[in-house]
Amino acid sequence: MSIIDYLIQGFGTALLWYNLLFAFVGVLIGTAVGVLPGIGPMSGVALLIPVTASITGGLPPEQAATSAIILLAGVYYGAMYGGSTTSILLNTPGESSSVVTTLDGYQMAKKGRAGSALSIAAIGSFVAGIVTLIALILLAKPLSNIAIKFGPAEYFSLMLLGLAAVSGLAGKSVTKALIMTVCGLLLATIGIDNVSGIARFTFEVPWLYQGIEFLTIAVGLFALGEVFKTILEKDEEETEVARINNLLPSKEELKESAAPIARGSILGFFIGILPGAGATLASFFSYILEKKISKNPEKFGTGAIAGVAAPESANNAASGGAMIPLLTLGIPGSGTTAILMGALMMYNVQPGPLLFEDHPQVAWGLIASMFIGNVMLLVLNLPLVKVFAKIIQTPKQFLIPMIIAISIFGVYAVQVSTNDLLLLLACGLLGYFLSKNDYPIAPLVLGLVLGPMIENNLRRALTISNGDYSLFFTRPISLAFLILTFLWLMIPVLMKMRGKQVVINVEG
Amino acid sequence: MDIKFDRIAATMFLVVGVLFIIGSTHLSSSSYGSKVGPNIFPLFLGSILALLSIRLFYESFQSKRQEGSKEKLQYKPFLIIFAATLLYILTLETFGYIITTFVFLFVCFQTMERTKILTSLIVSACFSVAVYYLYVNVLKGTLPSWPIWL
Repeated sequence: MSIIDYLIQGFGTALLWYNLLFAFVGVLIGTAVGVLPGIGPMSGVALLIPVTASITGGLPPEQAATSAIILLAGVYYGAMYGGSTTSILLNTPGESSSVVTTLDGYQMAKKGRAGSALSIAAIGSFVAGIVTLIALILLAKPLSNIAIKFGPAEYFSLMLLGLAAVSGLAGKSVTKALIMTVCGLLLATIGIDNVSGIARFTFEVPWLYQGIEFLTIAVGLFALGEVFKTILEKDEEETEVARINNLLPSKEELKESAAPIARGSILGFFIGILPGAGATLASFFSYILEKKISKNPEKFGTGAIAGVAAPESANNAASGGAMIPLLTLGIPGSGTTAILMGALMMYNVQPGPLLFEDHPQVAWGLIASMFIGNVMLLVLNLPLVKVFAKIIQTPKQFLIPMIIAISIFGVYAVQVSTNDLLLLLACGLLGYFLSKNDYPIAPLVLGLVLGPMIENNLRRALTISNGDYSLFFTRPISLAFLILTFLWLMIPVLMKMRGKQVVINVEG
Repeated sequence: MDIKFDRIAATMFLVVGVLFIIGSTHLSSSSYGSKVGPNIFPLFLGSILALLSIRLFYESFQSKRQEGSKEKLQYKPFLIIFAATLLYILTLETFGYIITTFVFLFVCFQTMERTKILTSLIVSACFSVAVYYLYVNVLKGTLPSWPIWL
C-alpha cells in the first residue's frame, strides 16, 4: 500500500465522530494549558493520561490507544498555540517555548497591534504544523525502514544517545541531569524483571511487584510539583491584559511575516527532530536567525512582526518534528514526548519502527488527526482568542486545589491503590524541591519510560555475544551512536571550560 | 542554587547508588543459560549513580555561593494543603469519594483565599458530585462510594 492509501485510511480513523471529539477536546484543553502560566504541556499531558484512560476504557484496545493518543497529542501541540496568547497579552509566557515571543509580541500589544500579533502567531503555527506533518509523512516510512534493521546493540546505543542528548541539554548542570536520568533508569528496574521473572528490589512488598507506575511519577513530579510551587511562591501582582482591537493582520503584515514563518517552520522542524533540543530552543534559534538576516535588526524588540511569526512557527514545527523520533524510532526526545510514549505503552502499543506495520491505525490515525487538529486550532484561535485570554483570569483559589483533586482522581482511577496516591504526594514534594534546585525532571521520566527497553536490548545484545561487551564497539552503527553520545556529553563541558555560554533547554 | 541542598542530595544519591549495588549482588547473575543476569543493569546503574553523586559533591565545593534574593515562601497555606491532601488520600477509601473530595476542596479553597465561602461550597460540591457521577454512572468506573458503615 502506498503512503496515500495509508493516509486516507488514517483520515478514515481520524474522522470518526468520537475521534473528532477527542481531537477537539485535546486541542481545546491544550490551548487552555498553554494559556495558563504554571501548567506546561508536560504536566497537562500527564494529568490527562488517567482521564483519557478512563474515558477510552469502553473501546477495543487499539481504538482506545488511537483515541487517547489523538487527544494527548492535541494537548501537546495545542499548548504551543496557547502559549503565545499570554506572551503577547501579558508579557508572561504561558510555557517556556513562548519566552522569546514576549520580546516583540508584548511590544506589539502595547502599540495596539495585539490582534495582528495573535493572528500571525496562530497562522504561523498553523503553517508550521502543516509543513511538519507533510515532512513527517514523507520521512516516517523511510526512517522506520532503516530502524527496523537495527539489532539490539544498535538500539541500545541509540537509546543511550537519546538519553544523553536530553540530559546534556536539560539543565544548568549536566551532572545533575545525568543523576536524574540514572535515577529514572533505576526506578524502572524495580518490580518483576521481565526477562528472568525474578523480583528485584521489591522487599516482598506486593505493591512493588508490578513496578513503579510511570504515570504516578509523572503526574506527581510535574503536575503536583508545579502546584506546590505556585502555592509556596504565591505572587500577588495583578497584570493588566492588553486590549485586542482589530483581529486580522493587514496585507503588509502578512507579506512581512511570510518568509519568517517559512524559515521558522523548517528550522523548527529540524531542531525538533534532534533529541534533547525541543520547542524552546527552536523558538530561540529562529528568533536569532531572523534578527541576523533582517535588513533592520534594530526593529527587533520594539514590536517587529517577524519576531512573533518566526518563533511561534518554530515552536509548533518543533513539537511536530519531535513526533518523528518517537513514532519511527521509539525514542522520545523530550519530556512531553516521553510522557506520550508512556501513554502509548499503557495501551500496549510500542512506538518504534514496527508501529507503522503493527498498528497502522494508531500511527496514521494520529497523523491525520494532527491535520484536523491544526485546522481546528486555527479556527478556534482566530475568533476565540478573547475567550482564551479570559482563562488567564481563572482565580488560583479554585484552580490549584482542583488540579490536586484531578491528579488524585486520575491516579486512583487507573491504579486503584492508596499506596500510589502516597507515592504521588511524595513525588509532588520531590518534584518541587528538585526543580527548585536545578535538578531537571524530564530526564528522570525519560529514564523511567526507556529503562525497560534499554535493559532488554542490552541483555539481548550481550546474550547474543555471550557476554562480550566489545560488541557495542565493533558494530559500526552502534559505534557511531556511542561516539555521538560521548561527543554530545563532552562538547558542552569543554565549551563551558573555555568560558562560552551554552544554550540549555528548560522545557526538557 | 542552594549548596547545602546539593550536598545533602549528593549524599543521598550516593546512598541510593550503593544500596542498589548491594541489592543487585543478591540477584542471580545468570538467567536461562545466558551469562547476563538481571543483576547487570542495576549494578552498572548503581555504580554510575555513585560516581555521579561523588562528582556532584565535588562540584558543590567549586561553585561560588550565590545568595539569590530570598523570596518569602508561603509555608502556612502550603502545610495546610499538604496535610489536607495527605488526609484526603488516607480517608478516601473509608469515607468514600464524594465526602472526602468535597471536604478537601472546600478546605483548600478557603486556605488559598479566605473569601467567597458560598462559591467555594458550591464549586466543591459540584466538582465532587460531577466527577463521581460521570466516572461511575457514565463511564462505568469504580470509585469508593459512600462510607462503608452507611
